[in-house]
Amino acid sequence: MRVVPVPSHLDDQTIDQLAASLGAWPPEERILLDAHATEWASPTGFVALLTLGQALAELGAPQPRLALPDSASVTSYWGKAGLLQHAEQYFELHGKAPPRKRAEQSDVLLPVTMIRDAADVMEVVGQIGKRATAMLRDQLGLEASVVGGFGQSLSEACQNIVEHAGTTGWAAVHAYSYRRRLGRKVLVIATSDAGVGFRRSLDATLAKRIGDRWSDGAAIESALIQGISRFRDPGRGQGLAGIKRYLSRWQGKISIRSGTARVKFGPEWTWDEEPPRSEHLAWFPGSQVTILIPGKEIDE
Amino acid sequence: MSSVIRLDVVLREAVATPYSDLVTRQTGAAVRNRVLMVLRDRPGHDAHLDFSAVGLVDFSCADEVVAKLIVASADLPVPRVLLYGVRADHADAIEHALDRLGLAVVAVLIDSDHPLLLGAIPEDCRTAFDALTERGRAAAESIANALGWTVPRALEALEGLASRRCVLAHADATFEFGAVA
Repeated sequence: MRVVPVPSHLDDQTIDQLAASLGAWPPEERILLDAHATEWASPTGFVALLTLGQALAELGAPQPRLALPDSASVTSYWGKAGLLQHAEQYFELHGKAPPRKRAEQSDVLLPVTMIRDAADVMEVVGQIGKRATAMLRDQLGLEASVVGGFGQSLSEACQNIVEHAGTTGWAAVHAYSYRRRLGRKVLVIATSDAGVGFRRSLDATLAKRIGDRWSDGAAIESALIQGISRFRDPGRGQGLAGIKRYLSRWQGKISIRSGTARVKFGPEWTWDEEPPRSEHLAWFPGSQVTILIPGKEIDE
Repeated sequence: MSSVIRLDVVLREAVATPYSDLVTRQTGAAVRNRVLMVLRDRPGHDAHLDFSAVGLVDFSCADEVVAKLIVASADLPVPRVLLYGVRADHADAIEHALDRLGLAVVAVLIDSDHPLLLGAIPEDCRTAFDALTERGRAAAESIANALGWTVPRALEALEGLASRRCVLAHADATFEFGAVA
């Protein structure tokens, strides 16, 4: 049994620690994901955990164990956010799981939801429309004009799973305070899939042309920055390009991790010290997309 | 003559959904095909796509419903494709889709009765379009006088608008946008 500690704060950046602890892939031993000391997880953390479980299941690996957080409030939140309901499919859960409840917390806009096809995308976008408007206005202090772009970004991020992953994936949307890094509340869209990843998706289109410099990072940049798609249709590649355009207007950030690289696009001065492109990270299955939309500054 | 096509209605005919959002490529393609079917049955009519009861429009659906429709309708006896009841966020997505393909369309925003151009179009065309919509029907000389341009410059801009099917070019060398529905 290989024990893989889950970071105390699991988010789009600390996934790297989780990936590094996995060791060789496919794993040679049964995996125990140890989250007993985990205090907090972002929506990206939730969907990435499910992607890991899904990837192991699709490999036919022995069912991994997931040791739930010691903190009852953390586990309760994991339940309300919809993680545990789906985690049961992929993990042998250890620890005290809270009774099943619907996501009642106002900061969970979209509990962890499986994305299989276009109908799921329509359902996700349609369901949260009014709540998203209220949350962006009331909790983040944003004007109505931000709402449309939020829905467009959610839709396109989910469609990337349907169009490119070659398998199912996950989406979640939460609002939370990002005081440590930003001093604001943010709305976070997270999607993840256990699919082929950006590099394999674009191999046939770009690998030959880019040659030795072809990598996970180059593939993500081609899609995000240059709007390149594996489809020949010139109208393709709109999704990520549109999200980037929207986020640049509202000082938002998008971060995409796929394989061994992560590329972010966002205002340097606002967010974090992460470089625009990180390569040679520990490998993690599929692709993870994190979109952060900042609220107005919090009055201290 | 015009055919007003309510996209919220077409959406519900094309896809079994309780929602009014134009999202996903599959949805967009299904809606476009239905719109094209309607237009084939109404030769000579402008296509007036009514967005006023549509919820969200994402970038992919804007490409499928508007950009690809403009391309496909060029092979049909449809003089123009015009958009009505467009919200600002719809316009963003549509403009993004049209920009990539070098296309343009005339849209009337939901809270306005003033037509505007969305997409990739030279600045002179935009300026000439504004001048023309203020005047109704005009020749290049009139637009040139109003803008302080040479007549060839005004004519090039107006012909650019007509070739993109954003305005009508008449046999008497005048141009017009026409009435806002």
